[in-house]
Amino acid sequence: MNMPTNRYCIKLGGESGQGINTLGILLSKAIKSLGYDIFSYREYPSLIKGGVASYQIDFSNKYISSSSQNCNILTILDPEAVHEYLHSLNPNGILLYDDSKVEFSPEEQGWITQNQIHVIYLDSEKIAVEAGGSSIMANIVMTSFLWKLLGFNPNDLANIVKEIFASKGEEIINKNILCLNAGYNTSEFKEEYTQRTYIPNLPSEKKDRKILTGNDAIALGAISAGVRAYYGYPMTPATSIFKYLGNTYKETGILIKQAESEITAVQMAMGSMAMGTRALTATSGGGFDLMQETISCAGITETPLVIVLAQRIGAGTGVPTWTGSSDIHTAVKSGHGEFPKAVLCVSDIQSGYILIQQAFNIAETYQIPVIVLTEKQIAESIFTVETLPRALQIQRGTYNGENRYEITNTGISPRWIPSFDKKPYLNNSDEHNQASQSTENMDEIREMSDKRMQKQSTLLNNLPEPVLYGNPQAQTVLVGCGSTKNPILDAISEGMNIAYLHYEYLFPTRTQTLLNLVSSGKRIILVENNQTGELGKILTEASGYQFKEKILKYNGKPLFLEDILNIQI
Amino acid sequence: MAIDLNEYNSNLKPTWCPGCGNFLIHMSLKKALSELDITPSQTYIAFDIGCNGNGADKINTYAFKGLHGRAIPLAAGLHLANRKFTVIADLGDGACFHEGLDHLIHAIRSNYDITILIHNNQNFALTTGQATLTTDEEKPMYGLPDSKPERTLEPSEIILSPNPSFYARGYSGDMQQLTELIKAGIQNKGCSVIEIMQLCPTYNEECTPQWFMQRIHKVEDSANTLEEARKIGTITNENINTGIIYRNTELETYYELQENRKDSQSELVDEVNQYDIQKLFDQFK
Repeated sequence: MNMPTNRYCIKLGGESGQGINTLGILLSKAIKSLGYDIFSYREYPSLIKGGVASYQIDFSNKYISSSSQNCNILTILDPEAVHEYLHSLNPNGILLYDDSKVEFSPEEQGWITQNQIHVIYLDSEKIAVEAGGSSIMANIVMTSFLWKLLGFNPNDLANIVKEIFASKGEEIINKNILCLNAGYNTSEFKEEYTQRTYIPNLPSEKKDRKILTGNDAIALGAISAGVRAYYGYPMTPATSIFKYLGNTYKETGILIKQAESEITAVQMAMGSMAMGTRALTATSGGGFDLMQETISCAGITETPLVIVLAQRIGAGTGVPTWTGSSDIHTAVKSGHGEFPKAVLCVSDIQSGYILIQQAFNIAETYQIPVIVLTEKQIAESIFTVETLPRALQIQRGTYNGENRYEITNTGISPRWIPSFDKKPYLNNSDEHNQASQSTENMDEIREMSDKRMQKQSTLLNNLPEPVLYGNPQAQTVLVGCGSTKNPILDAISEGMNIAYLHYEYLFPTRTQTLLNLVSSGKRIILVENNQTGELGKILTEASGYQFKEKILKYNGKPLFLEDILNIQI
Repeated sequence: MAIDLNEYNSNLKPTWCPGCGNFLIHMSLKKALSELDITPSQTYIAFDIGCNGNGADKINTYAFKGLHGRAIPLAAGLHLANRKFTVIADLGDGACFHEGLDHLIHAIRSNYDITILIHNNQNFALTTGQATLTTDEEKPMYGLPDSKPERTLEPSEIILSPNPSFYARGYSGDMQQLTELIKAGIQNKGCSVIEIMQLCPTYNEECTPQWFMQRIHKVEDSANTLEEARKIGTITNENINTGIIYRNTELETYYELQENRKDSQSELVDEVNQYDIQKLFDQFK
């Protein structure tokens, strides 16, 4: 097993609804404030109270954007969670727990001994109460004890506690600080514990950096691109785009509508786009299925439309709060009939911010539906960034003309924003002629179909080739899209000698770089977070190349850094 | 004073059956727009799928012929983007009470400032005469030789239950009254629902003009309470009331209830610009 060396990983485990997420954000901010890069990811069940949940923070003195499979310190706040997460510890790791009721099975006891796990029990509730806090502040005691295990200064943690609890009033803050100090200074701590940990050195330069989720980046990109309306229906893991745009609507003036269904949301978005503003909707797989008839309608009426499809794993209801990228094929093949569309694939903060802007430019310029794919592992995970890339220029591609569906060389017809002083036109979902009159004439049907599909060729010519990362001389080339990029780039950063071909613009599909790599005799491995290699199918259809080696993971967990490091090259 | 009706005509001839109520509904809509001085370029009509939708390319306004059952949310999206336009959703009883019933309820409850025209010909006509919830319970229909097993529902019950801003009922055979009702609906600030009893000589041949003439009674004054409106609105074997059945002028529109938009002077279509997100980005820590 290849273990990561440039990073350190801590995991919090507890009962869902117990405040794991709040503690995770607290620790993320505190570790980031020291100058580290962090990447945090949550595992939680699809229920509000009960069940176990975890929050994992990887940190490094280099940029990282993936999760480790195993952690170095596991901090457990609920007895059930011990059994769930124990085996996610690395050898020589530390298990810290605070419930005297925990009993290890003989198998667990054997595993602990074999892997030389150091087990620490801390009666955090007693420490909290003795320090003058309430029993719920046992969580802060555990956090500050963990902080001491990491060898960090308690003042840095205290600063973030004050920031996070600022709205709770001075008394609560003071009690939390008392508990924090009590946890940090408890006599239960032994110096030998710290010797077990290897913490990356602090970066020499401490920069002002921020932590945000993939969905935050998409929402910021949408605001930047002039999106003026958001129509949504709740569905994990898309919902937090709605949350961010809703919580900032006073500053942005964006109209926010929680629609009665995904069908309504996408119809309202299409209506607002047809009227000439920019409107967004976001959903996950099931909601996306409901939107597909409208995607087809936007296709034939040549109405710009942008949908964010935040993927989770599974058909039907699937596993609502777990990750995967099993809707790539659905996105590319969405909607009945034949019509052009574009599918873009977000992988991190930068791409989320830029691709949503690009999506609106493409949707308006080419008058097509554009689907922006993301995944739970990107949507809800926390990345560290210093700045965002420069925003894209808004391109709307509008121009006046006589006929709404005029046949042109590019396939792109005149489209003008409805206005009192302009000629009215009909957006017609019946097959139509250039003047938008419904038609059943066989020549007109074929000509208009050709005109529309010409836009896909025009778009393909203007899209970039996929990017090749890593060592271009390396014999092994991994191919992927979306969150797959992150553990692969982190593995390259760990020194793995590979190249990685990354598809951001997924459809229509450019294939020249891929075919060049194939013909130069490289070993090509498809890496995907789904069961059937959905990206691979799209690439095969476009290029004719059949992938011989595939790494496919579809158990609800993301591709971890170790999944890549363990590839035999 | 009114705009020339020819301004609203496209160069295509309608394709409805002889005697179809759609001819006069279409004409009433054009007359209403003309008499209100709303030009073709100030009008945006969301057409549904059905015989009514086949009028989409026969009228010269901004229009969107979309999907079956979805004219209402499409119209809502059009309206919210630019409230200066007169936005109309035009759909049949199949689209409104079957495929898209949720949209009707939520549009009334949201109170978008749009006008919804429901062509109630008591069947799915374009697919050659299937039963809707307004079809007579005894009547054999396409694929249902012994009539539909489901109960008939009263559209007025559905429309009144979410407390609409405006509810009127017209009749395709009375163009003068229907024109006035459409005008009143357009002028009403809020979600205006106009149910139009429509002649369908092909699939609802029992309900002839004479049949309607014997039953239709015009109401002069709209009801002040929902209870009263239900009484006026209920259709019986002997009686169909037409006219403005209910108004609720107290209701604020959806847009007026947007805390961040209600005082805005500009429309969403005027605001598509690059926004500097630095301040928002700085709030992340």
